[in-house]
Amino acid sequence: MNQILDVFNMGLLQNTLRSATPVILAAMGGLLTEHAGIMNIGMDGMILMGAFAAVAVSFALSSAAMGVAAAVAAGILAGLFFALFVVKLKSDEFIIGMALNTFAGALTVYLLRSIFGVKGTFSDKGIVGLPKVHLDVLDHIPFLGQLLNDNSIFVYVTWGIVFLTWLFLYRTPYGFWMRAAGEHPQSLETAGVSPVRMKFLASILCGILCGLAGAHLSLGYLTMFTEGMSGDRGFIAFACVLFGMANPPKVFLAALLFGFLQALGLRLQSAGVPADLTSIIPYASTVLMMVYVVVSGKKKKKKR
Amino acid sequence: MKKSISLLMVLALILSLFALVGCGGEEADDSALTVTVVVSAGFGDKSFNDSAKDGADRLAVDKGINVNYIECNNEGYKQKMMDAAEVSDVVVAVGWECYEIEEVAPEYPDTKFIFVDNPVENIADIPNLLCITYAQNEGSFLAGYIAASMSRTGVVGAVGGDDGDVIGDFLVGYEQGAKYANPDVRVETIIAGDYEDPALGKECALSLADKGADVIFNVAGNTGNGIFEAAQEKSFYAIGVDADQKLTNPEYDDVIICSMKKEVGQSIYDTIAALAENDTWEGGKILVTDMANGYISIAYGDEESTQQVPDSLKAEVEELAGKIVSGEIEVETTRG
Repeated sequence: MNQILDVFNMGLLQNTLRSATPVILAAMGGLLTEHAGIMNIGMDGMILMGAFAAVAVSFALSSAAMGVAAAVAAGILAGLFFALFVVKLKSDEFIIGMALNTFAGALTVYLLRSIFGVKGTFSDKGIVGLPKVHLDVLDHIPFLGQLLNDNSIFVYVTWGIVFLTWLFLYRTPYGFWMRAAGEHPQSLETAGVSPVRMKFLASILCGILCGLAGAHLSLGYLTMFTEGMSGDRGFIAFACVLFGMANPPKVFLAALLFGFLQALGLRLQSAGVPADLTSIIPYASTVLMMVYVVVSGKKKKKKR
Repeated sequence: MKKSISLLMVLALILSLFALVGCGGEEADDSALTVTVVVSAGFGDKSFNDSAKDGADRLAVDKGINVNYIECNNEGYKQKMMDAAEVSDVVVAVGWECYEIEEVAPEYPDTKFIFVDNPVENIADIPNLLCITYAQNEGSFLAGYIAASMSRTGVVGAVGGDDGDVIGDFLVGYEQGAKYANPDVRVETIIAGDYEDPALGKECALSLADKGADVIFNVAGNTGNGIFEAAQEKSFYAIGVDADQKLTNPEYDDVIICSMKKEVGQSIYDTIAALAENDTWEGGKILVTDMANGYISIAYGDEESTQQVPDSLKAEVEELAGKIVSGEIEVETTRG
């Protein structure tokens, strides 16, 4: 019993929230491009650029807010770059996505070494991190208060963004056009709205959200930049987009589930489960999720 | 179809990049040795890999040796070792992932190979290969002793990078040392499974702190930088690894109480300096470096660093080190 309590405790849920947040942010961006009909596997690179821009500017200007702004700017650039090649020049989205990831990995390493003269990790007292939010009201609520209090500000912002994304997609004309740009671009064109423009918009918004994910990673979660610190979170976000069928609340849950499984894996180790097995958990469950999505997708098609 | 063709093109492009890396770097001074250091991951971990680089850097300055570096970034180890062998007199492979060195070395009999951190099985048949292993269990014993002595909660933790023999060697020594200081201490370990994800390292450390651990040993390279951050946030102590991390990570001076120093760089330096100066080469062997020959120690930073460990404890540690060297204390090991 004690061992079970050791694994399933408050820390597990807090860990879930923390590690899911960057994935949720990136996945919200990913589902926009997915709706617009672009397969976007370049999110990992976008996160990485955002993380670097955030740390560099936060350090230079001693301001976390400017760091976040820089991450957003980097995200817009990355989104424009992606859209330019994929939408305008009609290159293969898979290749451009991979290229963006490789490019971001190399560029951040190059800049890290040439600007800051360090390799690997840049951590300095001069980097201003994002504040943690503490609400006294929450102290009075048992359990939930403990879970929801003292998180990095982005944890809360992210929940708002999930709602906004849903609102945008299903309750505004822009969202409607964006979905149409993916599903039936010809009809959208007949209606006088340019699908190309919608795809550009989706790509840029995705860049912004991935930039925020990066800023959260390097200024909220940690206050440092490490080469390759996105740690494949962009790909996990992509899996969540597919698993959640690009529906914001479902994608949100998928990302939480993924964060939960990763956190669970770490904790199961101390209950005596070998590390090799626990590190498989998130990936094995991704495969299972994908099987579920494909199978349930087939069933739906049959019903029609 | 289009995708698979374009995928192939990307692969070809990536490969050609690596080929270029292999060609570069040879310098003009023919009389001096050319040494290429191949690290399986990358530099910048401020511990293991950087220590190797530091040793090689000093060789270049002190002995006028031509030193090149190849960072594998976790792929293509064998090809990069072969590229290195083409252009150098000595290839130093750093990281267990370079185990294919036992296939590469026999193909280049005129080149000398040094494999850092792990032994290979049929070492005796490969006269141009020298393996250096480290008695990290001995230093970790002392780290564990310090951890358990400094802990108020009676729980100490460690975060390992992977589930291999070397990390295991750290962990058994650490646990034994902790129990030696306090038989009732609880030692909690987590294997992060990644050396380059400080966010993950932070989570590992926080979950150990949840269990009450108030001193956590970093055995996870770059991932470990997240441990230090967690330590500052939740005010617990951390122990550095491989390098004197109070000096390599001065921003965490307040939480790193000491480091288990494993002089990877110095061992490379000494081996190659001996080769360059006296033509001494102990190939076909495994060189075990330990506390007795001075490559393993506990470091507390320099005079400017904060000293959390009291002098009395330092003296005890010193005494224990003597006992380990003399063989009075036998430290468990997972090295084969």
